[in-house]
Order: sequence, then C-alpha cells, then structure tokens
Amino acid sequence: MTQRRSYAVGTGLFIVLGFAALAYLATQTTSVANTGQGASYTVDAQFANVGQLKPRAPVKVAGVRIGQVKSIELTPGHEEATVKLAIDDKYKGIPDDSVATIFTSGLLGDQYVGLSFGSSKKALDDGGHIALTKPAQQLEDMLGRFFGGGSAPDRIGGTYHVTGHFTNVGSLTPGATVKLAGVPIGSVGKVVLTNDKLDAVVTLDIDKRYDQIPDDSAAAVFTSGLIGSQYVAIQPGGSPDMLKDGDQVVLTQSALQLEDLIGKFLVNGSPSDNKNNAGNGQPSQSNPQQSNPPAPGKK
Amino acid sequence: MTEILSAPPDSEPMVKVRGLTTVLNGKKIFDALDLDIPRGKVTAIMGPSGTGKTTLLKHITGQMRGDAGQVVVDGEDVRTLSREHLFELRERIGYLFQNSALLTDFDVFENVAFPLRQHTTLPEVLIRNIVLTKLQAVGLRGAAALSPAELSGGMARRVALARAIVFDPMLILYDEPFVGLDPISLNQVLKLIRTLNETLGITSVLVAHELAAVQQVADHVYLIANGKVVAQGAPSTLANDGSPWTKQFFGGSADGPVPFQYPAGDYAAALGLRSNT
Amino acid sequence: MNARIERNGVVSNALAQIGACALFGLTLLGAVPGSMRHFRETLRQVWFVGAMSLTIIMTCGLFVGMVLALQLYDVLSIFGGTSATGTVVAIAIYRELGPVVTALLFAGRAGTSITAEIGLMRATDQIDAMEMMAVDPLAYVAAPRFLAGIVAVPLLTVMFCTMGVLGGHLVGVSWLGIDNGTFWSNMTATVDVWKDIIDGVIIKSFVFGIVVTLIAVFQGYTTPPTSEGVAYATTRTVVASSIAILALDFVLTAFLV
Repeated sequence: MTQRRSYAVGTGLFIVLGFAALAYLATQTTSVANTGQGASYTVDAQFANVGQLKPRAPVKVAGVRIGQVKSIELTPGHEEATVKLAIDDKYKGIPDDSVATIFTSGLLGDQYVGLSFGSSKKALDDGGHIALTKPAQQLEDMLGRFFGGGSAPDRIGGTYHVTGHFTNVGSLTPGATVKLAGVPIGSVGKVVLTNDKLDAVVTLDIDKRYDQIPDDSAAAVFTSGLIGSQYVAIQPGGSPDMLKDGDQVVLTQSALQLEDLIGKFLVNGSPSDNKNNAGNGQPSQSNPQQSNPPAPGKK
Repeated sequence: MTEILSAPPDSEPMVKVRGLTTVLNGKKIFDALDLDIPRGKVTAIMGPSGTGKTTLLKHITGQMRGDAGQVVVDGEDVRTLSREHLFELRERIGYLFQNSALLTDFDVFENVAFPLRQHTTLPEVLIRNIVLTKLQAVGLRGAAALSPAELSGGMARRVALARAIVFDPMLILYDEPFVGLDPISLNQVLKLIRTLNETLGITSVLVAHELAAVQQVADHVYLIANGKVVAQGAPSTLANDGSPWTKQFFGGSADGPVPFQYPAGDYAAALGLRSNT
Repeated sequence: MNARIERNGVVSNALAQIGACALFGLTLLGAVPGSMRHFRETLRQVWFVGAMSLTIIMTCGLFVGMVLALQLYDVLSIFGGTSATGTVVAIAIYRELGPVVTALLFAGRAGTSITAEIGLMRATDQIDAMEMMAVDPLAYVAAPRFLAGIVAVPLLTVMFCTMGVLGGHLVGVSWLGIDNGTFWSNMTATVDVWKDIIDGVIIKSFVFGIVVTLIAVFQGYTTPPTSEGVAYATTRTVVASSIAILALDFVLTAFLV
C-alpha cells in the first residue's frame, strides 16, 4: 500500500506542478500581466480619431505605464470618440491641462495613450476630463510623411530641360523626382560627370506647366525621410526672369551623406537628459514625439 | 433470470454442450458437438493438437460464441447471456491459463488478491487472510512477495491456480496444466487438482495430452477429433475400447484416422512433375 | 482478407486503420465510466505516462527555447528588432512548438511504452485472464491509460512551454544581452491569453493527447499476440501518431487562427 501511496503523491505533485506552470504562463508571459491591479480612478478624453486604439491598451507617462484604456465609445451626437482611461491610484496628481495623445509603438505596433503633463496646479480627479487631445496618426499619413516622394508627374504636357552642377549627388539616379514646395514638377533626366571640373551635371526635365520658376532658384539633393530615396528640391529665388529650356541652375546644394544626417539627427533629436529616467524597456520611438510642444486638441 | 435463482438439481451436469457448431476462418472447429461435464468430477478433454480443445474451454467461458447449438453452464446458456451476466457467471469459474497469465504489474500476493480487490470491498485483513490461505494451499505462501518474473514455470502455474480458486469457484478449467513441467512440479500440480476436487468438490475440466497424468486424476475422458467426440469413458478403459481413434491417439502411431499429411493438393503436381489439369 | 487489403493498396489500408481506431475509440469511451472504479489505476498511469516523461519534456523544452532565441536573435538583428526575440520565442512555442513537439515526444516516450505494455499483456494472456476474472480489460487496462494520456499531455505541454520561455530568456537575456525588462514587457504586450495560451497550448495539446494516447492504446490492444506483432505495433504507434499530430496541427491551426 505504501507503494500505491507514493504513486498518488507523485501524481498529485505532477498535476499541481502542471497547473502552477499554466498559471505562470497565463499570468506572467501574456497581456494579463499588464492588467492593472488594485484601485484606479477614471478620467475621460475626447479624440477626433482613435485609430486602432483598443480597450486595455496602456496609458503611459514618460513611457511608464500608469493605467489602461477602460472603454471607447462614440460621443453621442458628435463625430468624436470618448475614451475612458483607468489610471492607477498611485499615480495621482496629473495636471488637469495635460495633453493626451494616441501614439503607436514603433511604426506598426499597437497604439497607446500617452499623457504629457501640463503646468496646471490642479490635478485630475476621478471623473475628470482631459481637454487637450491629439488624435491618432493614420498609418497612411505617417507613411506619406515618411517616404515623401510620390511619383513624377506625367509628361503629357512636354518638358523643358535645365542643368545643375553638384559636387556630390549621393545616390541620385535618373528618374528621381524633382519637387518644388514638396510637389513633384519633373524628374531627373541624366546624371553625368563633367571631365574638366570633376563635378556631376544633372539634367532636370521639368514639366512645361511649371514655367514660372525664377532663374536664381536653388536646386538641392534631398533624401525622403531617413532612409528613403533621394530627390531634387527646387527652392525658388526672387529674380523676375524665369528658367528656360537649356538654362543652368547656378545655386546648388549637394547630397547630405547618411552619416551626416544621422549625426544631425542625434544631436538635435534627443529631447533631454531625462530620457534615461524613462521607463525601462519602453519603445524609445515615443520619446522624440513626446518632446513636441503640446498642440491644442480639436476643440 | 429465473434460471439463476432456481438452482438446478445435482444430477444436472455442470456443463452441457449440445449441437455446438463453430466455424473459424472457414474451418469447421466443432461439428454438432455434444458433451456433458458432470458435477464434482474431474473430466479430461483430450485430442490431437488443433482440434479445438482450448477453443472449447473458451466456449464454456463465453469468450467465444459458437455459430449454432447450446453451451449450458450451471443452467445458463452462455451463448445468449449479456456481458454483465457473463461476468457474473465468470466470477464462479476459475481458469488456469497455459502460460499462467500472471499480471506482471503486481507481486504474487497482489496477483492472488486481484479478483478480490476488483469484485469486493473486503477489509484488508480479510483479503490478507484469504490470499495467504490460498497460497498456503498451493504451497507458495513464502513466495508472496516475489514478482512473477522471479517464479519458475511450475510455481507460476501454482500461483495462477491459487488466483483461480480465490473465489472458491464451482468450476475450474485447466488449459494444458502439465505442459513444460518437470516431473516434480507435474506431480505437485496433479496432487493439487485432485485435492481441490476432493476437498472443495470443485468440478474440474482439464485439457491435456499426457495420458499418464490424466489417468491419475480424471474420472472421465472425452477424446475429440474432427469437431466431434470420437470416444469417451473412464481413463482406464478408454485406451482399450478398440476404436481406431483411441488406438492411434493412445498408441501414438504417426498415421491413422488423423492423417500424417495435412490436407494438400496432388504432390506430383505441386512439384511440377505432372500438369495439374 | 489479406489479399484484398493488398490489392486495394496503402490508402484503403490506412483508411481501414483510421476507421478501426475511431470505432475502438468509441468502445473505449463506453468503458470510461467503468474505469472510474479503477481510479487508483488511472492515477498510477498518470504517474507512469506523465510524471515519468517530465525529464525528457522539460529538457527538450529548455533546448528548444534556447535554440529559438539564438536563431531569432540572429535573424532579428538584421532588422534591428532583437527586442522582439522574447515575443517571437513565446508565440512560436505557445502556438506551434510546445504542443507539437510535446506530443511527438510523448508518442515516442509514453505512447510506445503503452503500446508495448498492452501488447505484451495481450501476448501473455493477461488480457484474457482479466476477462476470465470478470474484470473488463477495456475498463481496467485501456481506459486508465487513455485518461492518463489526456490528463498528462496538456500538463506536459505547459511544462514544455514554461521551460521553453525560460530557455529563451536564458539565452536572450543572460547570454545575448537583451534587456530583461524589454524581453518581458514586449512579450507581455503581445502574447494573448486566449489566442496563444488557450487556443494554442491548451486546445491543441488536449486534442493531441486524445489522439496520441488513443493510437497507442489501440495499437497495443489490437496487436497480434506475438513478439513481432508487438514490435510492429510499437513502430506503428510512432508513425501514426506523428502523422496524426502534424496533420491535425494544420487543421486545428486553420480553425483556430
């Protein structure tokens, strides 16, 4: 009988161990681990667009999780969503003029609500209202901003050609877009090296519709976003005479090397020293965004 | 159900086989077999190998069911019993397997105790007493803690016997109990069969080939061949009843009513010596 | 009979096996209530098929998690996404590797021993002996092992997953230097209880447990009572279980995703 008993004990141990492991998996390695425990208070905020924000999405301040989205409803009679935020009781004292913004973790990650503190002496209470909000950025907008470009205009109206000399065109290739004020007006026809001066001559095919470009305008080789394709941007000058077919653009700005860009980005981009104090393990993409000055909400 | 309640008279045979016909894989094992096993006696069933002696035992226990005819055990027709009633009947039947069939998971004691644990809720003390009594009866009380793998063939068979009688059955079926035993073990088993029959009045059926051994224990012998009883009688007289079957079987000649050759086609044709037209 | 099976070929033979196995499963289900009387036997079998498989399951889980972390770190570093290592390790293990590898290991470790044990009991007349002692062998031998397998496989799968995640953590955090907080927070942000734990780990492993144990018990119970028969049945248990696991995994995934 003792033999039977030891089986029973061992089997019981095995089963208990199994359920303990299940409990561990379910509570410590899944989103259940993020569910707020303990008491919380609720504030609400109106957003023009909540994008992909879902209930239980995190609410963060300076990258630290302080609560979660409790519910998302359409505000009756308005084209606005009312989002209720459950904030943990230990994070009291959020100024009532704080700004709530819907952010995305990384480019394609989940969305969350970020709060940037205001300067008011009054703190948000249970049932409080955050007046200043920024809606979710649509992915399409972000992608558009990120890749800039767009395609070259059609050539139905015919083009005229101007040239420009650059000391460095980077990876500019024929067919790249030519833009003015961000609008495509033509494309790069040829990129050739001059034998005498050892600089690059770029031929720009510009749509005939855009014939009102001053002849002292500058041409610069830019990159769309950080790693996008390169394009030529025309910065209009003030001369009364316009560029004509065969003219040369005298003022040029060569391509910036990626390394230079990154250098610039790093020097200007970091918000402040307190970045290191931000929560451990939170996506760092949110930090530059949070350093933006709070813009007023839709209201 | 009424058959169970009303105990049949003592004169009624324990097992009554009438017109049993069984076909297995196209081969007729039994052909209208008639057979009576009298109560309180030791009956031996003999016959050439492959005549279905073990199959007959399986018909008595209901593990196999014939295609026609009756097998009546203690007044109940086994062929028509439901599985539950069959199990009730089997609790009153002991069966000794040719290779003992001890449960390898348990030691000797638990093997003998197994039927008690499965069918009763007796207190541990009582189970212990019953099991030790039975083991004492087969002379293996000292081996209670051994595992089946540690037993010799003869010991294993005696343990199996102790297990078969743990419920004091009305009927014990011995399937080839003498095979592979040395003379000492053989005599021990013979003595046990006799003792069990005499002291407890248990009806015994034994399937065996060993004439000498059978003559020592059996009261009645059936000789089965070709699906029929070909001879029967007391063991002392049967060997001399003059039928060609008994002459071949007990005389041990290679050829006779049981042919030496298994039925086959023409020999010369099989060797390709003559076209088989 | 044999000639007909040969003539109809492998496919109908396999179909016949599946059909026979399914019918046996129904018979076995019928014997489950009867096996409640042998509850201790079921417990004992949970110990044999479950707890005794724990070592191999946990060791393999640890190594699977470790190698996953190593490979994923290598690939994800191309995209600068090494912080997602923990997430991908957890999801891969919960949804696929945990249930599938555990079931395959279980078929090899416990399934074969179930088949061989029952086959030998059949070959040495122990099954018949139980019949004769008026003990239903389906209820005493087959059903307890079947139930034990159904209980054990999900539990073993959960153990495997736990060890896998810990193994991934070991390599990712302790060795490759992913930040501990990043590892866990990315995992907890993405892994979902319903989609990954319930649908992935629990449902799949439960189905695999039923199928693997049923195949093992079926092969053992119906094997020809000879030593070659038992050897052949053991092989068939592994082959049939592996095919069934992977095919069912596809079907289940198609339904659950």
